[in-house]
Parts: sequence; structure tokens; C-alpha cells
Amino acid sequence: MNDELTYEKALEKLDEKLKLLEDGDLSLEDALKAVDEARVYLKVCTERLEAARHKIEIRPETAEE
Amino acid sequence: MLRPEEAQRPYTVTELANEIRRELRPLTALLVKGEVSGMKRGTAGHFNFSIQDGVSRLDAVLFADEARRVTTLPEDGQVFIFRGRVDFFGKTGRLSFIVDQVEFDDVGKLRARLEELKRRLEAEGAFAPGRKRRLPFLPRAVALLTSPTGAVIHDLQETIWERYPNMGVVVYPVQVQGATSPASIARALRRCNEEALADVIVIARGGGSFEEMYGFNSEVVARAILASRLPVVTALGHTSDRTIADLVADAECRTPTEAGARVVPKKSDLIALLRERGRRLDREAGQRIAREVERLTLKRQRVLQLLPALVRMRSERLARAAADLARLSPVQQVARREEALRERSRRLTAAAMSRLARGRTTLAGRRAAERLERALAKRFDVARSTLGHRRQQLIAFSPESVLARGYSITQDAETGAVLRSSADTAVKRKLRIRLAAGHLGARVEEVEQ
Repeated sequence: MNDELTYEKALEKLDEKLKLLEDGDLSLEDALKAVDEARVYLKVCTERLEAARHKIEIRPETAEE
Repeated sequence: MLRPEEAQRPYTVTELANEIRRELRPLTALLVKGEVSGMKRGTAGHFNFSIQDGVSRLDAVLFADEARRVTTLPEDGQVFIFRGRVDFFGKTGRLSFIVDQVEFDDVGKLRARLEELKRRLEAEGAFAPGRKRRLPFLPRAVALLTSPTGAVIHDLQETIWERYPNMGVVVYPVQVQGATSPASIARALRRCNEEALADVIVIARGGGSFEEMYGFNSEVVARAILASRLPVVTALGHTSDRTIADLVADAECRTPTEAGARVVPKKSDLIALLRERGRRLDREAGQRIAREVERLTLKRQRVLQLLPALVRMRSERLARAAADLARLSPVQQVARREEALRERSRRLTAAAMSRLARGRTTLAGRRAAERLERALAKRFDVARSTLGHRRQQLIAFSPESVLARGYSITQDAETGAVLRSSADTAVKRKLRIRLAAGHLGARVEEVEQ
């Protein structure tokens, strides 16, 4: 599932979990589960930040029409 | 022109051709207005055509280098103002007008065409905000469509890498002005989408005159932007008019720097944001555990507090049960009933006493002492006569009177027991027989049942 997640989506999910936790209505078990999931999303976000490759590529025009 | 004295020796054709070229040299930077006909594109990218005004005709050529620079490509039947020079080609013996610039004869007409295109696109909803694609929050790479020679590449790259040091930039060199620019831009847009090396496209150039921006007002470019799957951002410089490309693009910026900031977030901001989320997550997890520990501690304390009370409650219940049991025991019940009886007898005595006292008071109150005495005397008389009667009865029933009527009482001499049956005695037992007058001593001779 993590391959399809963009930085933005992962951040959205992370914020959802944080909100659930901060609202404080979760049972201990659910809260621990939410914490684990939130950590996964946090990791995905961090990975996405580093995923881009620093380079400049020139794609010259091919033969004209 | 040739002078007569020099005409003695004939020119070679080449000499004359060169002479003609030399003579034509002043005819440079000319402007000529005419209608295009016979437009043909040669193999080397040169364009050959004729310029005419209905009476005269002039061969014209637009070389490939120039063709890329001109704002628009002349088409048959259109009237343009051409700038250029006249040249003579000795090889073909033809005189040509070498075009280096093409201008619309009437900019007003061009603007009218542009307005018509705008209206058409607007009616299709091409400018509607709802149609616009959202820019990606964090692209993997940015595609840049611009002139390969301008400062735009450098500016955009600098902005992007300053904000996001490891962002990828893919450059698609395009013709940003001249007749070939619409097709060039449209082609590059299609390639961007096909190759999908980037997540967002920036089309940039450094501004220009209305004629120079012609390509960005063309329908070809507008359609290519509309057809793009990837969002398109324009950065066409500080121009007086917004181009159609600006209107159909998903975001409109002016400079490459502005576009760079628009398409790429600041990495340091994102890192700070993630750190903040991480801290919040740690805090929440820690607090949740701490809260649970606290809850357990509180529960434990409550149990410890409640324990003595629970024990006391149990022992009190036990004591009550024992008391209940004792109250129900027979001995206790008898004792309780005796007590109740005693209580009642006390109440009875008290009631009788009070009643008597009341009666006495009443009697005294009525001064009935004499009446009492009379009544008493009468009751004494009645009692006396009853007593006499009773004595007579008593006498009639007394053993003496029975004996007087001839009965006797036989008793065992030793025990004194009265014999009522022959079985009460045995042979040789001594008897005492009581008669009305006197006693007899006797011995049993015979017992008959």
C-alpha cells in the first residue's frame, strides 16, 4: 500500500491518526494501533521527501514534423 | 551601371551577376507589403513563395534560421509586411526578396481573431476554475518547457534547488517565439505527458511584444494545455496582456522564480512539519500510556481503600445474622412471650385498679353508702339461703348419708385404699369395713371375680 501513497496522502493519513489520538476517545489497544500506523505514515512521508533525484535532464526535440 | 568605355570588353556572366548583386546591396532593410502565394517548404527548412500585389510579382525566400524567429509563418492569400533585402542568385538567374521578418499587416485584425478564440474557449468552459487541475503538493520532478538558450532555465533551476535541493528538473527545449513555436510547444506538452518524467509542467519565457507572444495565443497551444494530464503552470514574463495560454493553464505566474516557488514546496518547511508531527505522536503515545498507568494506580488505590470497608461490611452483616438467629431461638421466644405476658398482666392490674378507683369515686359521688349497705344485706340474705340449700345438698351427698342408707365402704386395712372391685384385694388380706355407725375388722376368705 505504501508504494501508492504520495507524500500528501500519507501526511493526510498521519494527521487523521493524530487527530484520533488527540481526541482521546480511543481504547488503549486502538490507541497503540493508531500510534503504530501513524509512525508508518510518518516514515512514508520522510521517504517521499528524499525520493526525488537531484538532477537536470535535457530532452531535446526530436525531428520536426 | 556599366559605363560605355568599359563595354569594349564583354563581361562574363558571373562578372555581370556579381555586378548586379553589388548594385542591389543598398536595397537592404526594406519593407514590402504584399500577398503570399505559392508557399513551399524546402528540404533544408527554407520557405519559398511569391509576394504579389496584383500587378507585380517578386520571388521571396524565408531561410530556416529566420523562419524559427518570425512571429508567424506566412500563408497563401494572406497579406503581410515583409522586412528584408533584395538579392540576385547567379546560379539560377533569379532575383529574390530575402525575408528576415514577417509582420501582420493589421495587428487589429489579429487581436480580433484572438478575441474570437477567447470567446470560443470561454464558451467551452476552458477558463473555468473548476476545470483546472490541482498542482501536486510535492512533485517528483518538474518539467520545464522553455528556450534552451535563455536565462529562464537557470532562474527556475536555482529557485527550485534552493527550495528543494534534491528536486529533479526535466527541460524540454521549445521555440518560444516565431512561426514554429505553437507546434513546438504543443509537441513538447504531448511528450511530457507521454514520458511522465515529471509531475508538473512549467512553460516559461521572458516576456515580449504582442507579436512575439503570438505562439502563446494560438489555439494549438491552448488545446495542448487543455489536453495535458499533468498540470501546467505558465511563467511568460511581464506582459501587458494575459495570453490564452495563461488563461487555460492550471496556474499562472509571471517569472520563473515565482513559478518555481509555486510548484515546489520548501523542503525545510516539510521537514519541520514532519518533526512537529513526530513530536506530537510521541507525546500522544507517551501521554496515553501515562494515562493508563495513572488509571491503574487509581484503581489499585481505590481497591486498597475499599478493602477494609468491604471486610467491615461483611463482618457487620455476620453480626446481624447472628443476632437474628438468637432472636428466633425457642428459649428467647419463650422468655419474650413471658415478658409480654407479664407486661399484659401489669397493664391489666393497672387497668382494673384504675377502673375500681373510678367505680369507687362514682359510688362515693352518688352518696350510695346506704344503698350499698342495703344491697349488701340483700345479697347476704340470698347468699345465706343459697348456702342453706347447698348444705342440704351437701348432706344428702355426704358419705355419712349414703352409709345411713345401708351402704358400707370397704378399705384395705393396711393401705387404706377404698376397694371398688374384688380384684383390688386377695385372700387373707385384712379389710376395714366402715358402716353408718362403727367399723368392722375382717379377713378375705374367698375372691370371686
